[in-house]
Amino acid sequence: MRSWGAIIKRIATVLPVVFGVLCLTFALLHMVPGDPVDVMLGESASPADRFALKAQLGLDQPVLAQFGHYLLNLLHGDFGVSIHTQTPITQLLVQAYPATLILAVTALSIGLLVGIPLGIWSALKAGHWQDVMVTLVSIRLAAMPAFWLGPVLMLVFAVWLGWLPVSGMDNAASILLPALTLGLGLSAILTRMTRTSLLEVLNEDYIRTARAKGLSERRVLLKHALRAALLPMVTIVGLQMGSLLAGAVITETIFSWNGIGRLLVDSIEKRDYPVTQACVLVVALSYVLINQATDIAYRWLDPRTRNAR
Amino acid sequence: MGGLVVLLAACQPDSGPRALVFAVAQAPVNLDPRYATDAASERVNRLLYQRLVEFDQASRVVPGLATWDMPDSRHYRFHLHQPAASFHHGKPVTATDVKATYDSLLQLKNSPHTAEFRHVTQIVTPDPQTIEFALSEPDPHFPARLIIGILPADQIAAHHDFAHVPIGSGPFKFERWHSRLQLVRRSDGLPVYFDEVKDPNVRVLKLKRGEADLLQGDLPPELVKYLQKQTGITVQTGIGVNYSYLGLNTQAVFLRDVRVRRAIAHAIDTQAIIDKVMVGHSRQANAILPPEHYAGNAGLQAYGYQPALARQLLESAGVKLPLTLVYKTSTDAQRVRLATILQAQMQAAGIDLQIKSLDWGTFFADVQTGNFQMYGLTWVGIKTPEIYSKVFGSNNRPPAGFNRGGYRDVVLDDLLQKEEWPAITRRIHAQLPYIPLWYEGQFAAYRATIAAYQPAPDGNWDDLAQVVFHPAR
Repeated sequence: MRSWGAIIKRIATVLPVVFGVLCLTFALLHMVPGDPVDVMLGESASPADRFALKAQLGLDQPVLAQFGHYLLNLLHGDFGVSIHTQTPITQLLVQAYPATLILAVTALSIGLLVGIPLGIWSALKAGHWQDVMVTLVSIRLAAMPAFWLGPVLMLVFAVWLGWLPVSGMDNAASILLPALTLGLGLSAILTRMTRTSLLEVLNEDYIRTARAKGLSERRVLLKHALRAALLPMVTIVGLQMGSLLAGAVITETIFSWNGIGRLLVDSIEKRDYPVTQACVLVVALSYVLINQATDIAYRWLDPRTRNAR
Repeated sequence: MGGLVVLLAACQPDSGPRALVFAVAQAPVNLDPRYATDAASERVNRLLYQRLVEFDQASRVVPGLATWDMPDSRHYRFHLHQPAASFHHGKPVTATDVKATYDSLLQLKNSPHTAEFRHVTQIVTPDPQTIEFALSEPDPHFPARLIIGILPADQIAAHHDFAHVPIGSGPFKFERWHSRLQLVRRSDGLPVYFDEVKDPNVRVLKLKRGEADLLQGDLPPELVKYLQKQTGITVQTGIGVNYSYLGLNTQAVFLRDVRVRRAIAHAIDTQAIIDKVMVGHSRQANAILPPEHYAGNAGLQAYGYQPALARQLLESAGVKLPLTLVYKTSTDAQRVRLATILQAQMQAAGIDLQIKSLDWGTFFADVQTGNFQMYGLTWVGIKTPEIYSKVFGSNNRPPAGFNRGGYRDVVLDDLLQKEEWPAITRRIHAQLPYIPLWYEGQFAAYRATIAAYQPAPDGNWDDLAQVVFHPAR
């Protein structure tokens, strides 16, 4: 019961964070140079046309009144429409968010499937040439920016080998290259973290005790060491998932992946305030919820943290 | 060969007839011609809709859907061609459709094109083939304004969503628009897909891989040169008419002095830039409108690269060298590269050019509000010489026009009133409110499956209506 109360308390803390993000985004958007009316009507529109459009968009109201109106609509689940395309923003989000979600989950899966086994192998071979090789490769992968790794993967797997499409969202195989671009970098981080964490655990007294009791090395590793070593991974995975859901802007742009990151950048360039505002809200909400879920998962996995204040 | 066929077949977006995939840097935003302003939307709309008028090679207005006459200086009468063109939903294009299109445009409060027609007082249709426009004041350029695609009246009345489901009478009809736009050529049913691929390297890789059949423009010159060396890919270049320039704030200290503006012109080696870092067929510009335009001036001489003369001019204007100028540009890689070249060239003339690269929204807002000393931009698709008045007329500071640099010149204003184009271009060239740079060459790159495609001088995509595939491939 206490545990449920703590969970509800945690979820309740999401609201002030999201409200803060809303306020900040709204204020920043109204501070940056560039006016949607100028973008829509061009420079030669008459002041009367300009004023009429401002009134239509509600931009003639004081900023606080605009914000109040925006919050009221939001409470009714109405994000408004895109200034440029007149498309309902909910429709844009419904198209973009699942694309980002699928990409994030696939990238995270690649990261986990590659990173954790490599990290374990590296820890078990610590000090040997295999460990050195894994360390070298993972450090290089972690250092490669997406704008470089993405085109390299395209060149190798799409142009030279012809196995995968260069970009787009035309078929199931289209996701592999953008997911690899994100996932390989993530796997490098997970490899390093797993290696370090496992090496620490393997030096603990209770592992020595388990070995002294005559347990097989395999049982020591799987039953005792790995469970403890992978606990910090929950935090790392949660943070990374949050970042991925926030939209991998560069990867989505390079691979023509119509996700939330690409939508956000396009809307900022076009000063499409309502779309930017909605994207930031969704991204912030995703990030905060994933982090809360990570904390809750951590409490569940590690009983020691349940009573922590 | 078999493998190639399988590979190409795998790249077709759908089964069925052969398709053409056109990789574009920017997808269209709004396919309602009453609203569209971005280049991609306007280029697609030229394929979807027909207009009352078109422009010839010298940018003179010529009949499109209709011919016209002028009963008097305030009235224009347009006669639709017979037999009538037909809309994609089967109905013929009539005078009622033309009237409905322009009437609806005049009533819109949020269209960027409405201001062009503020002087239209009445539109009447004496018969199904004739439309008469009554104006509140004489306007000799009125036919050139009638470039809005004609929409069907019945669909306007039904508040049809033209922005996302366009219905026109052009050579292409709309099919679908989800993650990519698909049109179908009416003459033979050829599906054409417009794939938005923002990254230029990726567009090139898609062409090379066969995921795209055609690219046009928007590539840095080194990628064009790379494509020219690839087997199975043809690069077609042609002259361009889009005018690149440096805009100057003529109200700013020093820049209000014509000697300083001339010094800047002499501090830039335009020809070297064209030779080294531009695509083929790029050419030096001396005026907004190119020499082949009916209001162009082939007699203007370029300011040569003379850094010593530039220094002299600056010193004679009382400038203490080096002269520090802030140059604003967008974050586009090619624009930033050109800025660094200008910076290096101007150094020899005693000008310390400080580059400020800003995101597009901030950059353009600064340009529109006059918050700059110097900026670089390109005028795209300019057809009528009215541009000189809008850009340099003393009374055309935004929002009345595009005189963003605050240029004031009573001599030029007088010439603009008289529309003496050769004298106007000479005056502007001598006074330099803009530093002219070049008309960038146009190019298209396509796979060997395509027989021929010619890029248009203004970068439009009209040749998609003619493009054919090699029959044997």
